[in-house]
Amino acid sequence: MNVINDLLKIISDFVAGIVNSIFSFSPFLADVVTMGLAAVVLCTFAALSFMGLTYVERKVVARIQDRVGPNQAGPLGLLQPLADGIKMFTKEDTTPAAADRWVYNLAPLVIAIFALTTYAVLPFAPGVVGTNLNVGVFYIIAIGSGSIVAIIMAGWGSNNKYALLGAFRTVAQLVGYEVPMLLNVLPVVMITGSMSLTDIITQQTTLNGNPGIPFIVFFPLSALVFLISGIAETARSPFDLLEAESEIVAGFHVEYSGMKFALFFLGEYVNALAVAFVFSTFFLGGYAGPVLPPYIWLLLKAAAVFFIFMWLRGTLPRIRVDQMHNMNWKFLVPVSIVHLVVVMALMKLFVTSPAQVQANGGILVTPGVQAAILFTASLAILIGSLLIAARRARIMRLQEEAILEQRRAENIAAASA
Amino acid sequence: MRTDFAFVGVMLVTAALLMGVALIAASLLRPKKPSKAKLETYECGMETVGDTWVQFRVQYYILALVFVLFDIEAILLFPIAVAFNSLSFFAVANVILFIVVLLIALLYAWRKGALDWE
Amino acid sequence: MTIQQVLFIVIALAVLGSAVFVVTTRNLFRAALMMIAAFFGIAGLFVLLDAGLFAVAQVLIYIGAISILVIFAVMLTRGMQGMVPRNSQATAAAVTVAIVFAVLLLLFGPLRLTIDVARWPVLSLFAANTSPRDVGGIAWTPPGQVIPPVPDTYIADFGRSLVDLNQYLLPFLLIAFLVDVVLAGAIFIARQRRPAEVAEDRQLQAEEEAEEAEAMRRAGALPGPASLPEGAVASTSDH
Repeated sequence: MNVINDLLKIISDFVAGIVNSIFSFSPFLADVVTMGLAAVVLCTFAALSFMGLTYVERKVVARIQDRVGPNQAGPLGLLQPLADGIKMFTKEDTTPAAADRWVYNLAPLVIAIFALTTYAVLPFAPGVVGTNLNVGVFYIIAIGSGSIVAIIMAGWGSNNKYALLGAFRTVAQLVGYEVPMLLNVLPVVMITGSMSLTDIITQQTTLNGNPGIPFIVFFPLSALVFLISGIAETARSPFDLLEAESEIVAGFHVEYSGMKFALFFLGEYVNALAVAFVFSTFFLGGYAGPVLPPYIWLLLKAAAVFFIFMWLRGTLPRIRVDQMHNMNWKFLVPVSIVHLVVVMALMKLFVTSPAQVQANGGILVTPGVQAAILFTASLAILIGSLLIAARRARIMRLQEEAILEQRRAENIAAASA
Repeated sequence: MRTDFAFVGVMLVTAALLMGVALIAASLLRPKKPSKAKLETYECGMETVGDTWVQFRVQYYILALVFVLFDIEAILLFPIAVAFNSLSFFAVANVILFIVVLLIALLYAWRKGALDWE
Repeated sequence: MTIQQVLFIVIALAVLGSAVFVVTTRNLFRAALMMIAAFFGIAGLFVLLDAGLFAVAQVLIYIGAISILVIFAVMLTRGMQGMVPRNSQATAAAVTVAIVFAVLLLLFGPLRLTIDVARWPVLSLFAANTSPRDVGGIAWTPPGQVIPPVPDTYIADFGRSLVDLNQYLLPFLLIAFLVDVVLAGAIFIARQRRPAEVAEDRQLQAEEEAEEAEAMRRAGALPGPASLPEGAVASTSDH
């Protein structure tokens, strides 16, 4: 039992031991080589899961749309990613003559690199983490925002009007949906008292390895808004208006083909998987779970979240650009701010440790009761804001209909006069 | 010196090397037959007219500016969130004041139509 | 040569090289990209100083937000289309600034010139409990002296200092109000002129031109009949 549970840790210790003994003349080199090996393993994991995910997504979305999906390349279409890979490697790279060579060639590389470095802080099992940064949460969001520059590089480097326009719109969308992401990770950090990802998981597992209370119970509103922002950040459907063929013909990567386009594609899927992992870590408890080994739990939770992504892709129609911005700045951000203020007030009123009561005053409750209070507050804010939004929408619709009625009446009066 | 970020550096370099290898392998494997049509800029099959410049609307700038302001707010709120459990009521009241002032800024922008698109 | 020194030299050279490229190149987009590279280098310097929070904050704010703002602002003014004309006083200005900066650094650094802020009328409001050394002199550590390491709790300490009455609470709240002012200013400058405003501007312009033409005709400079009936606006040529 212990071997299976700690399998990853045992393997990594074993390999580290070998490397240390080979490089025993210089511990610095040993460290560097170990880190290099870990980095290679992480990158390979990300790249392989990218290939598997393209296949799984096509199959799942096909089934939702009542068709079969790829089934020609190999049994059940399982060799489809291999076929896609071969295609990507051997397609001709049509670089437009007017493009800015350096910028045009660097952009896909930068996006792929940034997408991959997100995996450096994800904890896959207790003790198996690339590096346990004490600013882990912040780091993930910063890497996400750093990749936005590469999109402008791609759009400008192509020297193409549509690419430039698509790049601006993409950047406006990505930049807009960072704000609810930032605001909704704050309650998680507040209740943990640390920005380190392993600390967040430990906080959710306070009962001897069994999951304590995952933060989705504490902050359902935050989890929901974080999920929506995560989907918008990776520009997946229903927020993929920037790749819509009928509107802007693939947006900022219209001039790319072959391997460079594959790197953009890889960046998108690796980002989506990273968002799934991050969501499971923040809100679902990460690798914590009763019976199965921890890495299996993490993969199951991330797979469930990614299934929700695919489900939304197959079901919802594409959102319009002004609807998207309106929803972000006029709904998600104010609701997140109100939720944050309420959570701050409640967390100071109802504290969970006697030391805090002594220091700052407040009512002492057990973690369960605090979770219940925060849960009801979150739900109240969510339902209240949805009701307000629904009423506003209804008022606006009635106003529009009134105007239309008036115009119709005027037309009839003018026609009969 | 802390060595936390050393792995981040190693990861950046490794990702760059791996992706670089993929790109180089692709450039060795693929055909290279440039023709005049392939080198032209893409515009749905038509020829491009004029410089590559789009009518840059000012809404993009206002949105980016609002994002910068909320970014700065979040930067200041993160360390406060880390220290949250040891803050007094007075301190939390000040933080709530800070957030409310920013909410007023957002509501002002909303009222003035700066958040409308198109 | 420790690893720190090697890394510092490499990153510092990268930052300086990017900065020189930014101010000397004539292609604005390349300049913006090199500026982003310089910001990355600065984030690396923060990492060398054990300030991980500030390194990540640097990436998030400067590269994720401010660079995009700068690129958008430049594109608003069509600066990316043409090349920027060279300023002929650039070299002299750069040399002057470098000399002044070096002198200031010497005065406040190894020569330890300090300002006793507690005795200045307005500045003393912001530095109520800090010693005069802290606000005027740069902490210039002689080589070989051991600097105390950054404590593990530096993030929580920084957070607490932001809401502490004796430390940085006032600047913290002032930032919120500054944000309000900035947003109001930007929205005012970028406002859509309402159609009524546009028509008003045009009407004012037309009236002014009519008055000028009227005055010039009366003085005999322009040929043509002199007065027009009151209230009528002359049909002026289009602009």
